[in-house]
Parts: sequence; C-alpha cells; structure tokens
Amino acid sequence: MTRRARSQVAGARLQSAASYAVLLTLLVIVIFPFFWMTITSFKNEDQMRSLVSMFWPSPFVTDNYRQLLGKTDFVAWYKNSIVVAVSSTLVATAIGTIGAYALARLRFLGRAFMASAVLITYLVPPSILFIPLYAQIRNLGLADSLTGLIAAYPSFTVPFVTWLLMGYFESIPEELEESAMIDGATRFGAFYRVVLPLAAPGLLAAGLYAFTQAWNEFLYALVFITDVKLRTLPVGLSTFITGDVYGWGYLMAGAVLTTVPVIVAYIYLQRYMVEGLTAGSVKG
Amino acid sequence: MATTRAVLRGKSAVFEREGQRGRDGLKRWLGPDYRLGFLFVLPIVALVLTLVAYPFFYAVYLSMTRKYVGVPPVFVGLENYWKLSHDGFFQRAVVNSAVFTFGSVGIKLVLGMGMALVLTSKIRFRSFWTGVLLIPWVAPTVVTALNFLWIYDGSLGVLNYILVKVLHILPQGVGWLSEAGTAMASVVAVNVWRGFPFFGISFLAGMKAIPGELYEAAAVDGASPLGRFRHVTLPGIRNILIIVMLLSTIWTFNDFAIVYILTKGGPGGTTMVLPVFTYEMAFGAQRLGEAIAAALYMLPPLAFVIIVLARYMRRGRK
Repeated sequence: MTRRARSQVAGARLQSAASYAVLLTLLVIVIFPFFWMTITSFKNEDQMRSLVSMFWPSPFVTDNYRQLLGKTDFVAWYKNSIVVAVSSTLVATAIGTIGAYALARLRFLGRAFMASAVLITYLVPPSILFIPLYAQIRNLGLADSLTGLIAAYPSFTVPFVTWLLMGYFESIPEELEESAMIDGATRFGAFYRVVLPLAAPGLLAAGLYAFTQAWNEFLYALVFITDVKLRTLPVGLSTFITGDVYGWGYLMAGAVLTTVPVIVAYIYLQRYMVEGLTAGSVKG
Repeated sequence: MATTRAVLRGKSAVFEREGQRGRDGLKRWLGPDYRLGFLFVLPIVALVLTLVAYPFFYAVYLSMTRKYVGVPPVFVGLENYWKLSHDGFFQRAVVNSAVFTFGSVGIKLVLGMGMALVLTSKIRFRSFWTGVLLIPWVAPTVVTALNFLWIYDGSLGVLNYILVKVLHILPQGVGWLSEAGTAMASVVAVNVWRGFPFFGISFLAGMKAIPGELYEAAAVDGASPLGRFRHVTLPGIRNILIIVMLLSTIWTFNDFAIVYILTKGGPGGTTMVLPVFTYEMAFGAQRLGEAIAAALYMLPPLAFVIIVLARYMRRGRK
C-alpha cells in the first residue's frame, strides 16, 4: 500500500467516525426531551421534588395517568382533538384532491392565477389572520364550537394539500388518461379510475400532514374556544401549567398521550411522509 | 303528424347545432375543460374567499379603526399604525422578532446542513437515522414547548441538574426562562430543535439529486472536500436552500406557540415577539384595531418574502 492510499483509508475512517459522532450527538439531542417526558410521567411527586434517581422513575408509578384520565377533562379533550383533526382532514383532503387535479391537468380560464393564489394562501401565516378569522367564524355562528375549528382548519390545510398534490398529479404521465379517454372514459372517469389510484401514496402523505397540522394546531384553538370541555389537546395541556411541582407529572403523562398518535402514524408511514415533506416545499 | 315531427326534428337539430356552437364559443373562452375544472376548483375558491381573502381585507379595514370588543368600529385612518411606530413596546417586539427569526434560521441552516452532509456520507442504517432525526418536526409543537418548559425549570429542571450536579460546569442553577440574559437564547434553542430536521431533510433530498459524476470530476481535478462542497454541493442545492430559508423565515417569524408557552413574552418583555404581542393586545388589552395593525405592520416585508418564495417554489416544479 502506498503512503497516499494508506492516508486515504485513514482519512475515510476518520470521516466515518466523525459522521457517527455527529449522528449520535444529534440523536441524543432529539431523543432526550421525549425520554425525559416519558420518565417524568412515571415518577411520583416526592421523587421529583427530591431530585433523586433523576434519570429513572423510582418507584415506578402510574398515578399520573390515573389522575390525568380520572380527574381532569383530558379524555374529553382527546375526543375533541380526534373529531376536529379527522373531520377537517377529510374535508381538506377531498377539496384539495379535486382542486389539485383541476389545477394540474384541466385547461380552463384562470387556472394559472388560481394556482398562484393557492400557493400564496399556503404561505400567508395564521398570526396575521387569526383575529379577523375569529370574527368571521363568529359571524357564521360557529364560535366556541368544534364545528368552528373544523371549518377554520381547512384554511391552512387545503392550500398545503392542494400544492402538494399538484406536484404529484403533474408527475403522473398524461398519456394514461388520454388512452383511457380514447377507450371511452369521460374526463371524470379517467380521473377517478386511472389517476386517483396512482396518486394514492400522495393522498396518504397529504392526508397525514393535514391530520398532523390539525392535531398540533394551537393558536386558533386557543382563540376560538372558551368552553373548558370543548378544548383540544394542545390548548388543554397548556392550561395544566401551574408553576407547581405537583402538576408536572400528569402534564407529562398528557404530553406522552398527545404525542403517541402522531409518532405511531409517522413510524408506520415514514416513507410517504418524508417524500411528501420534500415534495410539499421543494422538488429535487 | 309526420310533418310536425319532421319539423320538430329539424328544429331540434338546428338548436343542437346552435347549442354546439355556443358551447364551442364558451370552450374557446373558458378553456376546453372549463366545466369539470370550475366544478373542481369551486370549493377551494369558496374556502379561500370566505376564510382567507375576506378576513384579510376585513383585517386591513379593522386596522384603520378604533375597535373594542362588543362596540362597533370607528374609522381612524392610519392612527393605529402611527401610534404603534412610536410605541416603545412595539418597537422592542419588532427587534425581538428579528433576533428570534434570524437567530433561529441561521442556526437551523448550519445544523441542517451538518445533518444532511452526515446523512449523505458513508453510514449504515441511513433510513433509520433519517427517520429518527425527523421526529421533532412531526411532534406537536405544544408538547415540545411543554417539555422544554419542564427541562428549563429553574429549581427542578433537568438541564440545571446536568450542568450543576453531573457535569459541574455551573456553580448553581440558572433560571433559563426567567432571567433576561438567557430567555431569548432559550426560546431560540427550542425553535431550532423543532425546525432543524426540516432543513436537514430538504438539503438531503437536494444533495441526493446531484449526479455522482460531478463529484468524480471534481475529485479528478484534485478538489479538496471543502472545494467539492463549495463548487458542487452548494450550487446543486442552491434553489432548495433559498426556498427552505425563506419558508422557515416566514414560519419562525410567526411562531406563536413556543414563545407563548415558554415565556409569554417575558421576563420584562425580553422575548416579546410580534405574534405574542398581537395576541396580548387583542385578547389581553382588548384593543382589536391596534392588535391587527401590529399584525399587519410587517406585511410589506412579509409579502415581499412570500412573492419571491412563491416564484422559486413554482420554478422548482417546472
């Protein structure tokens, strides 16, 4: 082996060691808050107060979960979050899918303008719109109701879903529809029977993101809902902050249960979501 | 009987032909697929008009009124904007927002680039690492904020425990969120924690699309790793870099949940950013007109960013 080749091998080894070191550091930084949240949820109050056995629950207790599920409105909030996230996702995915197909494929007056409008709507942030949108929801008689949130969430999920799926539909070869139409299918039939099945992974990714966004949404839920029983999880959890040691146990138990659905969905459908994420903002 | 039928048939044929011509005319004007097209975009148009466009223009109007909850608005022109521009609290919120936004985006850029470079190097289990590192991005923001609120806790928080009792770096605990010197850095850190994976994944996608021959050619020319990064990688992901940075600038500038939950803008206004300022003005002080003016004050630079970004995103699709 020449000296140069040897130094190259050493260099490559050093590089891969450095890569793993960086990865491990990032991994610890990313995982630690979740680890901390989970072990806190199984600690009792005494242990938290006395700073003993910091990194493992001792004794291991489930009191926090019992307290959370039995003595707070957490279960009601969980139901509210499911109702709001699922309904608004269904609405947004349906509206976004047909809209994206029209904007990606069909030729009609105003299409280019509409496509730009959708993209710009996606980029306009909620912090500008939340006060007038609240006024609008109140005008529609939907203030302080879950229906109000279900109606409001598509204002940000629909533009996102539409933009993401436009890219998806554009990537499906147009010849497939044309040949279906030559075989006698209508435009709608070609969309429904040929394009839609091919776009299923995209639909799944778009729906998952719409769900995650609705599940995580905080500002509108905080502003639109005043009835304690009608809160969604993010707002409900944030009201647990008391500044007291006592609260942290069941707050973290609530945080664990709020995180579980999105993480489980993510683990199962990671491939689609990573693809969708990069397609939504950028394309290779 | 027969004749009438023939006449009728003739008439309907004429009608049909005229109808055909009328429809062709419409098709020429409205495009060949106008019927299905209009039908399919109708829900989006209705949604955008009622939930985005109308509230937006109503907001512009309200920002020019004196409006309190439950009382009809009184038109005052640009008074709210004028008042805000002389309001020390507002000016401070603008500066804080700039520090929060540019600080966070800058750090996310560096971390995201590091993440992408490491993930493109020769490592095992790449999809496992990619998947795990993306988790902060999908976890609920409020949960993240609450986790860090507890981690940062002055007396019982684990960060102080690690720094004081485990590593002995600090002599005593720090009130990360309650001391003016550390509060801003602490909220920026949480925003970075949540946002850097998005940078990393997007850069990774861009780097994967760069043809391997370019790197080989650069290596043959004797380019150093740094040279390859500067002359092959960076130009290759230029568009993605710009898009991700602009997107993140908008999102970070408008981040409400993290700051609201961690500090509510405190201590003493040191982390008061514009979205929290707007919220407090509207629902704390109940001064809606001024609150909306505060939200819209930053619209011109924001609109500029949005338009530039939209252009890049559309170009990225073609």
